[in-house]
Amino acid sequence: MGVAVHEKIISLHRQLIKNPFEGLVESVPAYSSLAVFHRKKFEDVKIIIETLLEKLSAGTEQTTNIIRLPVLYDGEDLDTVARQHQLSADEVIRIHTSRTYRVFMIGFLPGFPYLGEVDERIATPRKSAPRTAVAAGSVGIAGKQTGIYPQQSPGGWQLIGRTPLKIFDASKKTPCLLCAGDSVAFYAITLQEYNRLNEY
Amino acid sequence: MSIEIVKPAIVSSLVAAPREGYRSWGIGSGGAMDTFAYEMANALVGNEQAAVIELGYSSSEIYFHDHQLISATGKGFTLFANEKPFPMWRPVGVEAGSILKLVKTRGGAWSYLAVHGGWKAEEWLGSFTTHLTAKAGGFRGRLLQKSDRIELNTLLQFQKDKIFHWSISSQQVAEVYNPTYTLRCMPSAETELLLPECAKDFCRMEMMVTPQSNRMGYRLQCDRPLLAQPFNMVSSPVDVGTIQLLPDGNLIVLMADCQTTGGYPRIASVIAADLPKLAQVMPGEKISFNMVSLQEAEWEWIKYKKRLAELKRSCHLQIKNFLS
Repeated sequence: MGVAVHEKIISLHRQLIKNPFEGLVESVPAYSSLAVFHRKKFEDVKIIIETLLEKLSAGTEQTTNIIRLPVLYDGEDLDTVARQHQLSADEVIRIHTSRTYRVFMIGFLPGFPYLGEVDERIATPRKSAPRTAVAAGSVGIAGKQTGIYPQQSPGGWQLIGRTPLKIFDASKKTPCLLCAGDSVAFYAITLQEYNRLNEY
Repeated sequence: MSIEIVKPAIVSSLVAAPREGYRSWGIGSGGAMDTFAYEMANALVGNEQAAVIELGYSSSEIYFHDHQLISATGKGFTLFANEKPFPMWRPVGVEAGSILKLVKTRGGAWSYLAVHGGWKAEEWLGSFTTHLTAKAGGFRGRLLQKSDRIELNTLLQFQKDKIFHWSISSQQVAEVYNPTYTLRCMPSAETELLLPECAKDFCRMEMMVTPQSNRMGYRLQCDRPLLAQPFNMVSSPVDVGTIQLLPDGNLIVLMADCQTTGGYPRIASVIAADLPKLAQVMPGEKISFNMVSLQEAEWEWIKYKKRLAELKRSCHLQIKNFLS
């Protein structure tokens, strides 16, 4: 997970959105690669992308959206995570909310953001046996990644809390709240605040 | 102006042109499993990219309230209207009050039922195809169930005894699906990770499509597990046709409803021209892979698209004459 590489990926991705070449379908950013879907010959696209990449390396200026997400830290695995690192639950919360995370990619499910990197002190491997149902809005940790379940699904991430906001809503014109390249900052809220903000 | 699902197949849904442009939000393209059969079902009744009913893995029954011009395509099914056999890959006039049956036989997995003008489907992000995980598009964003009523976009008036003389010939169909169980694939991003002897095995071995296969992917069981060099992989983009190596040495080929990213090594990709053929392989059947170059894959795709365009053009010409 390199931020410098990812910045380049996002620059290229945005460049392709802004100035699509003829035959481009879409591009998909991930941690260390960008997939380019097109209806051309591979060799022709290769030349286009290589030319764009040369220009990019000169100077990549980035603007990022920072999205602040409220979280009620009452996850089923919060104590497990705390115990594994000999921390209190409050310390886990303080560490999780103390930095801004980069959205490296959206994948696995529609709208599922892979955020990183998590502080070493709370980085925790996935559960050995995944849950059959994780509720929509659940915030989890998997290794040095943190993420949010956009809808109910099976899942193996360590659940530390839940956001009352819908990060994916199929009925909206823009169904996803987050895009690769955005930044996310979590802040802790109380149960009362959760209930007031609850969109589910 | 509707039909009613009397008995759905195991997997029945409304499919249409893929939903493209939203993969970076984790929204896969979806669409028909067998895109050739889907395209031909539409073309035979004069549609461009209308929603079609996809019925997979088992027999189904549908009640027609109105007289309609339909076509059924696919592999491993035979068509009956009121117990009378009708040809597939050919337009058929179905009378009001008929029960149409697609009966499962051997040698295929998916059938497609198109109606002139198309089935009424819900649009989501520019496509009418069903997205099951997002629960959007198609028919209420879900699989079809018994008693569902699907509306028609148009009601076509035509004489009941009209004969439709155009069809897709069995030879034209065979060109796409034969040889049935040999699939061509090309190298992918992590092809080099396979140990040399396993790379050889990959192109030699027969692999069984397991019952855990579905619209998201076909799982392949290998007689000898395929092994990779030690690697450290981060999640990367994947697409329909991507062959991933699972930790247990077996494979999964991603299909129409696959995720947009994955964390398993991508050791090859089934070439686009062979995806309709792969879709029609049933669980329990065995397939094998043949590695070709990227250039060959592109060439086969151009050939396939040309053949498709010719077939579509001739169908549209026929239906235009019929309607005028």
